[in-house]
Amino acid sequence: MPAVFTVDAHSGVPIYLQLIEQVKRSIALGVLSPGEQLPTVKQLATDLTINPNTVARVYRELERDGVIETSPGRGSFVRSNGGVANASRAAADVAAAALDAAVREAKSIGIAVREARELFHRALERWYPDHEKTEDSRS
Amino acid sequence: MNDSPAKIAIDRLTKRYGSTLAVDSLTVDVPKGSIFGLLGTNGAGKTTTFKCLLGLARPTSGTVTIDGKPLTPENFERLSYVPERCALYEWMTGAQHLELQRRSFKYYDGRRADELMDLFGLDRRKKIGKYSKGQQTAMALVLAFSIRPDILVLDEPASGLDPVHQRHVLDLIIGEAAGGSTIIFSSHQIGQVERAADRVAIMHKGTLRLTGEVEQLKADVKVVEATFDSEAPQLNGLGTDPRIGYVMRAGKLLRVYVGGDAGEIAKAISAKGPRSLRVLDQNLEDIFLSTVGAAPLNEAEY
Repeated sequence: MPAVFTVDAHSGVPIYLQLIEQVKRSIALGVLSPGEQLPTVKQLATDLTINPNTVARVYRELERDGVIETSPGRGSFVRSNGGVANASRAAADVAAAALDAAVREAKSIGIAVREARELFHRALERWYPDHEKTEDSRS
Repeated sequence: MNDSPAKIAIDRLTKRYGSTLAVDSLTVDVPKGSIFGLLGTNGAGKTTTFKCLLGLARPTSGTVTIDGKPLTPENFERLSYVPERCALYEWMTGAQHLELQRRSFKYYDGRRADELMDLFGLDRRKKIGKYSKGQQTAMALVLAFSIRPDILVLDEPASGLDPVHQRHVLDLIIGEAAGGSTIIFSSHQIGQVERAADRVAIMHKGTLRLTGEVEQLKADVKVVEATFDSEAPQLNGLGTDPRIGYVMRAGKLLRVYVGGDAGEIAKAISAKGPRSLRVLDQNLEDIFLSTVGAAPLNEAEY
């Protein structure tokens, strides 16, 4: 399972959150496939030189989110049921987390709701240029 | 994680040497399977704490228990200690030390010892006195990890080691903890503690100043970091806000450390028109320096 995870202890983002996001991203991008085995807690902890309890926490939360499943003695695996649906939900999770962080930051530096909404629409127009600026993008 | 019973419980430990109070009423719990980092400047009382923990020094008052019981000879079979200063016999070779370890410890694992000797590139036939300081440290670590320890007490385990071997030490510590061992170690390499430890205690002049889970401690104080197009402005008025721990200013960069919710402070700084502004968790070095009363950078220095 040579997916490469990295952590930055000085990024200001908790290590376990960095890892959860990276696993989800790897699944969303197809770097990790359904049914694929994840490294053991010990393996990943030593690979990344981070505390094993941190890795254990990452796996617990991923399991709770239905992203992976763990069977005692065999290890942790990317959930196979759901397949593509699972991966696209993981993709949505990654996007949601990024949006969430952006909105939180906007709020923390005093951006008003109106202004935030305006910024969001501007970003949509920039990255989805072919899409009409209508409300139907919700469907 | 928090509810697991303490593997090592240090309760109101006090150690006095003559008129010097080396450790003053220290209370700390180390949960099983934890990697516990003990931080402090020189003379903070870390080594004295280790000695009391190991029964090498008798506490003036207070207790240290392992699995709820005072230290017994049985504990020693699964307990490894690497002291700050090399305590090996200089006239013995590496191989002789391994043999001594084999005879002394029931759980000695010869294959593991061989692997570790190779990992650190140690020559078995050489006398310890001919080893470099780093090699002596490495040899002490080989011996410590060779007995399948349940508890590892490491006082500055990376001192004198090159960066590659320091990394090996961290990997070994992490591997042992993943296997269920409990590790308590001191280090001046805060970055390494930050990665490897799940809990830390910060001591200063014999007393405990701060202890808790690393992630929690980092999240408790937020850092509002702003860069400006020119010299970072003064914080008129804000400077006396009780939520602000301290302010670091380096040219165009401004960092403000805030206890609790940083929203309002960030908003006030935002009003001064920075080019960029971020709200971050602080890192362990920041926590350490502010806890022992040394700000990372004085305004005057930049």
